[in-house]
Amino acid sequence: MKVLVVDDEPQIRRALRTSLEAHGYEVATVGTGEEGVVASADQQPDLVLLDLGLPDMDGTEVIRRVRGFSDVPVIILSVREAQSDKVAALDAGADDYVTKPFAMEELLARARAALRRAGPDEPPQPTLRYGGLEIDLARRLVTLDGEQLHVTPTEYALLEALVSNPGKLLTHQWLLRRVWGQGYGTETTYLRTYIRALRKKLGDDASSPALIVTEPGVGYRWVGESA
Amino acid sequence: MVVESPPGRLARLTVRSVGIGLLATLAGTVLALLTYQLQGAGVAIFILAVTIAAVSGGLWAGVVAAVLASIALPIVEYPDRVLRFDQLRDLIAAVVFLAIAVVVGLVVGYAADERDRAGRREREARLLAFLSAKLLSGDVPDRVLDEFVQVLLEPLGLASCQVSVTLDGQDIEARAVRPGVPRGGPTEVIPVVVSNIPLGTLIAERPEGRRSFTRDERMLLEAATRQAAVALDRARLDARARLAQLDAETNQLRAAMFSSVTHDLRTPLASIKAGVTSLLDVSATHDKGQQQELLTTILEETDRLNRLVGNILDLAKIRAGALIPKRVATAVDEVAEAVVARMRPLLVDFTVELQLAPDLPEVPADPVQLDQVLTNLLENAARHSPRGGTIRIHVGETRGAIRVRVADEGPGIKPEEREKVFEAFYRGRESPESSGSGLGLAIARAIVVAHGGRIRIEETTGGGTAMVVDVPIEETVL
Repeated sequence: MKVLVVDDEPQIRRALRTSLEAHGYEVATVGTGEEGVVASADQQPDLVLLDLGLPDMDGTEVIRRVRGFSDVPVIILSVREAQSDKVAALDAGADDYVTKPFAMEELLARARAALRRAGPDEPPQPTLRYGGLEIDLARRLVTLDGEQLHVTPTEYALLEALVSNPGKLLTHQWLLRRVWGQGYGTETTYLRTYIRALRKKLGDDASSPALIVTEPGVGYRWVGESA
Repeated sequence: MVVESPPGRLARLTVRSVGIGLLATLAGTVLALLTYQLQGAGVAIFILAVTIAAVSGGLWAGVVAAVLASIALPIVEYPDRVLRFDQLRDLIAAVVFLAIAVVVGLVVGYAADERDRAGRREREARLLAFLSAKLLSGDVPDRVLDEFVQVLLEPLGLASCQVSVTLDGQDIEARAVRPGVPRGGPTEVIPVVVSNIPLGTLIAERPEGRRSFTRDERMLLEAATRQAAVALDRARLDARARLAQLDAETNQLRAAMFSSVTHDLRTPLASIKAGVTSLLDVSATHDKGQQQELLTTILEETDRLNRLVGNILDLAKIRAGALIPKRVATAVDEVAEAVVARMRPLLVDFTVELQLAPDLPEVPADPVQLDQVLTNLLENAARHSPRGGTIRIHVGETRGAIRVRVADEGPGIKPEEREKVFEAFYRGRESPESSGSGLGLAIARAIVVAHGGRIRIEETTGGGTAMVVDVPIEETVL
C-alpha cells in the first residue's frame, strides 16, 4: 500500500513517514500542493494524506485537480479552526478529515477504513450485519434482533447511503443530494429529523453511538462494526 | 432677525383683506340701515365694523372698511343726500374710521408677525432639539448623519442635503434627496467646524426655481450644522476612549497571559521534554512498564498543551473581535449528543446523564462554537466533580431560548465568586492548582454572548454547580 503525504511541515512529514512505515505502508512525501497533484498522477498512491494549509495552493483546489484524474481516497489533515474549509474539502471530494494534532491510531483507523472502501470490490454482500441489526440490501429489509423494522423509503435510502460508505464522513450536502435529489443541499432540518428517527428505530444512542456518529455542522458517519 | 423677516400682514393687500373689509362694511351698512332712526347709531356701528375688519383682516382690511364706511355712512344716515362730504361730521367720521383702521390694523399685524416669529422660532427650536437628541444618541456617526440630512429636508424646503466629513482619517458621507423634486435651485454651502478644526461641509440645495435662503434659514442651517459637528466630535472622542479602554484591557490581558504562559505552557513542555530525553537516553534502561508510563505522560501533557493553545487562540480571537458566529440552523440537542459522545473517554470516571426535551426547535448558531461551549462546560464539570460523581446535562426550551444546563456534584461556587469564574485566567480558590487554564469559561461566555445569549451559575440542590446557558431561538443583535 502506497501513501502520499502532502504537508509543508518537515516535522509532520517525518513523523508520518516513520509511523506509517512502521505499519508496513510505503510512504512518499511532498511539501506543496503542486507537487502533491503531480505525485498523485505519477506515483498512483493508494491513499493521500493532505494538509489543508499548504503555502502554494488551497487544499480544496488540490482535491479538485486530483479528482480530475483519480478516485484515490484523500484524508484531510487540518487544524480545528478551519471548519468551513473542511466542509468545502469534503464537498470537493475528500473522504475524511483528521484534526491536527491527531493521535496516530486515529489516523491509521481512518486510513484503513478509506483503503477498505477503495479496495477491490468485494462480492456484493446481499445482507449486512451489525450486531443484532441486519440490512437485506436485495430485498430492502431491515431487521433488529430478528424483528423486522418498519422503515420508510426515505429512511431506507438514508440508511443505505450511510452503510454503503462505512467509516466515511458524509457531509449534509452529500447526503441531501444522494437521498432527496440534486436540488437539495441546505435542508439540514430534514436530514436531522430522519437521522433522529432512524437512530430511534435502530436503537442507537447519539450520546454513545455504535452506528451513526454526528459531526456537528459537518455531517454523519456510519461506524457500525460489521459482524 | 426682524430686519429680514418675511413681511407680515402690514404690507399685504390681498383679495382676502379686501374681502374682509367689504364684508364688514356691508354688514355694518345693513345693520345701520335697520337702525337708522336711532340718532348716532350709524357711526357707532361703522366704528365697530372697521374695528372688526382690522382685527380679523389686518391693516388693509381695516383701511378698505374705513374707506367704504366713510362712503356708506352719509348714504345710510341721509338717504336723500347722496355722497356729501362737505359736512364736517362726515369728514371727522372718515378720519376716525381711517385712524381706527390704521391703529388696530398695525397692532393686529404686529401681533400676528410676532406670533409667526414665535411659531417659527419654536419650530426651529424643536428641530434643533430633535437634531441634538438624535446626534448625541451615541449611535454610529454614519447612521446619525443619514438621519440628520433626512430631518433637515422638510422644514427647510430642501431638494437635497448632503454632508461630507473626515473623521480621524475616515471619510463619511450622508445624503438625502426629496424624491420627485427638481433639483438645481439656490444652494448653501456651510462648513462643518468643531473647535476651529474643519471637518467637512454641508451642502443644502433648494428645488429649482425657488427663492434663495433667508437669513433666518441660513442661521438655522448653521445652527444645525454646529450641532452635527459637536456630535461628530463626541463620537470621535468616544471611539478614542473605547480604543484606549481596549488598549488598557489588552495590556492587562497581556500581563495575565504572560504570567500564565510561563506556568501553563512551560509545565507540560517540561514534562514532555523530560520524558522524551529520558527515553532517548541510551545509558538508561527502561522496562516496558516505565516506557509506557513515560509515553502516557507525554501524550497527556501534549493534549493539555493543545487545549491550552486552542483556548489562548480563542481568547485572542475574542479580544480581537474576530469571534463572529457563522450562523446556520443548529440543533443544540444534537450538538450536546455529539459532545458527550466525543468526550466519553474523558468522562469514564463519572456518570453522565443526558436529558433532551423532545421536538426542540433549531437555533441560528455556529455549531462549532456551540460545540466549544458545551465541551468547555463539560470539562469544567469533570474537573470539579468528585470521582464517581454524576454530571447531568439537560437541554430544554425556555421563553424564546434553548437552555442547556450542565450540573456537577462538585463543591459549588460561592455567590461572590460566580461572576469571577467567567474572567480569563481566573481559577477557583477551591482548586488553585487544578489543571484548568482558567480560560474555558471565559471563552464559553464570550461565545454565548456573541450569540445574543446568556450564561450564568446556579446552585444545585446537592450543593454543586450548574452552568446554565440560554441561546435565543430568534437571532438577536448584540
